[in-house]
Amino acid sequence: MTREKGCELLLVEDNDVNREMLQRRLMRAGYTVISAADGQEALDKMHGAKPDLVLLDINLPVKDGWTVAREASQDVALKSIPIIALTAHAMESDRQQALASGCDDYATKPIDFPELLVKIEHLLAS
Amino acid sequence: MKLRNTSLSLRARLYLFSVAILTLFAINVATHLWGSFARSESLVAYRDAAAAAQLVNDLEQGLETARQQVLVLATLRETTDEPLDQAERDTAMADLDLLRQRLGRLGALGGETTDDYYRRLFDSATALLEEWEEFYSNYNRPGASASVESPIQYNDTRQKLEELDQRQEFLAIQRSSTIDGTIRLTDRITVIGFVTTIAVTMLLVILLIRSANSSLLRLKTGVQRFGSGDLTYRIDEHRDAGEIQDLARTFNDMSGKLATAIEEVNSAKADADAANAAKSMFLANVSHELRTPLNAIIGYSEMLQDELGDPGDIDRDQVHHDLGTIILSGRQLLGLINEILDLSKIETGKMQVSLEDFQPVPLVLQVCDALSPLLSQRDNRLELDLGDDDSISMFSDPGKLQQIVTNLFSNACKFTENGVIKVSTRSEDGWLMLSVADDGIGMTAEQQERVFETFEQAEVTTGTKYGGTGLGLAIVRDFCTMLGGEITLRSAADEGSCFTVRLPLTGPVSNPEAA
Repeated sequence: MTREKGCELLLVEDNDVNREMLQRRLMRAGYTVISAADGQEALDKMHGAKPDLVLLDINLPVKDGWTVAREASQDVALKSIPIIALTAHAMESDRQQALASGCDDYATKPIDFPELLVKIEHLLAS
Repeated sequence: MKLRNTSLSLRARLYLFSVAILTLFAINVATHLWGSFARSESLVAYRDAAAAAQLVNDLEQGLETARQQVLVLATLRETTDEPLDQAERDTAMADLDLLRQRLGRLGALGGETTDDYYRRLFDSATALLEEWEEFYSNYNRPGASASVESPIQYNDTRQKLEELDQRQEFLAIQRSSTIDGTIRLTDRITVIGFVTTIAVTMLLVILLIRSANSSLLRLKTGVQRFGSGDLTYRIDEHRDAGEIQDLARTFNDMSGKLATAIEEVNSAKADADAANAAKSMFLANVSHELRTPLNAIIGYSEMLQDELGDPGDIDRDQVHHDLGTIILSGRQLLGLINEILDLSKIETGKMQVSLEDFQPVPLVLQVCDALSPLLSQRDNRLELDLGDDDSISMFSDPGKLQQIVTNLFSNACKFTENGVIKVSTRSEDGWLMLSVADDGIGMTAEQQERVFETFEQAEVTTGTKYGGTGLGLAIVRDFCTMLGGEITLRSAADEGSCFTVRLPLTGPVSNPEAA
């Protein structure tokens, strides 16, 4: 696997168990991972750390994922950062909403991890 | 006009119309009969007058002839002295008798108006005839006086006859002019009556048609409005009476009933749509809730598998912790599936209640202990108030009570952060009072109304913010009912919620299945 070592990902997830799990797996895959547990923290860290890509859960306290994605896409400083939405909602309408809100891609829980890695690499390469 | 009075029923109008036409018809017939009677009377009068004139004429000629004969005989007797034979005398007497009869018939023809004239004629004529009879009977007797040659009596009779005739003629003319007047009058009345009948009939027909037409037009307009869907329209019932009013009222009733039926159908449809939408929302939430623990189970398992392939030592503590997470998520999944099954059982009436004697206070303690990890998730503190008497005993379903406490407790933990969750129990007049209070986000009055409904959460977004399927409280409420008790809620937005469960210590009174 050709992997851009040292790329920094922001993982936004409020469920501790799932956040810890994904963080460990992404780190094993060679990425630097910072994390946030709610929508406001996510926006703050996007501004502060300028990650290369954001993995964004939708069901978040304080500000939900749709709002975060919309605000990021309207923010000149943030709109170049690609966002992959992560959600346990599996309806077609959710996928459309994700793309409409400014997310670049979409992954459904339970996460198919190899597929998620492909999506990350694809977005980082483009 | 009566027909203008629109409060008459159609039938009454038709009857009135018929009566009016028949009355006019009867008046026409009566006038016509009167005219016919006058005509026939005129004919009789003419006939009487003609007969009287004829009799007068006959009588005049008879008297003339008889006088000639008497004058001839008187001359003969003076000159010849020849006696009159019996046969000749009888013939003359018969002639005089005939004259008497004619005089009588003339009397029979006359009325009261000619009575005086007739009486004078009768007296004069009788005297003349008696004079002549005397002449005939004394003819053969020698020396008899013969005053018959004097014309006085005869002329008097002739004059009286003339007077009677004139009188009769005058009366006939007078009578015929009266009768002619009557005939003219009845003719005129007949013509006017006929023309009036035609005119009034036409007028009545037009009025009847117009009034019936306007009534029918109102009905038609109403029915058309109903047909086009305007069911709030009402036909004016008070403009008509009788059967048309009944018909209008029936149409109005029909429209009202239709409107009600349509409203019912619409509201039933809206209810069905709402129930359907709630079910879809529920399914989406269930799917979401199932996926969250599954994500952890699959993710951790895959990760462990990957890590086992790594070179180097295995961190046994780490693996132990990860496996614990997998197990916890698996149990969470199982709990969720059980909730869905419970609700399904309750809804289909298959939920069983197994009653036994047990002590509720230790059971509540045990549940609180088991759920203490939930407390620390959002930094909440537990406050227990289990009363002095922890040996309360009750006859109920401990499994259901355990689930009630679990659901209320985990709800309180879910909606409270950095707060106090207070669980208290006490017995009161044969009831177990159990309350779970928190100082979390609370609910508005409107949210409180719906919070016990199946598939409902306080807000559509609650499921995404706080998790849960909206089943916990529905199950708690149904269980309370099954155990013969009830659940009440006191809450205010941002001030927390307090759920109080009241269960009978002696178990549900009757039919526990009827939840």
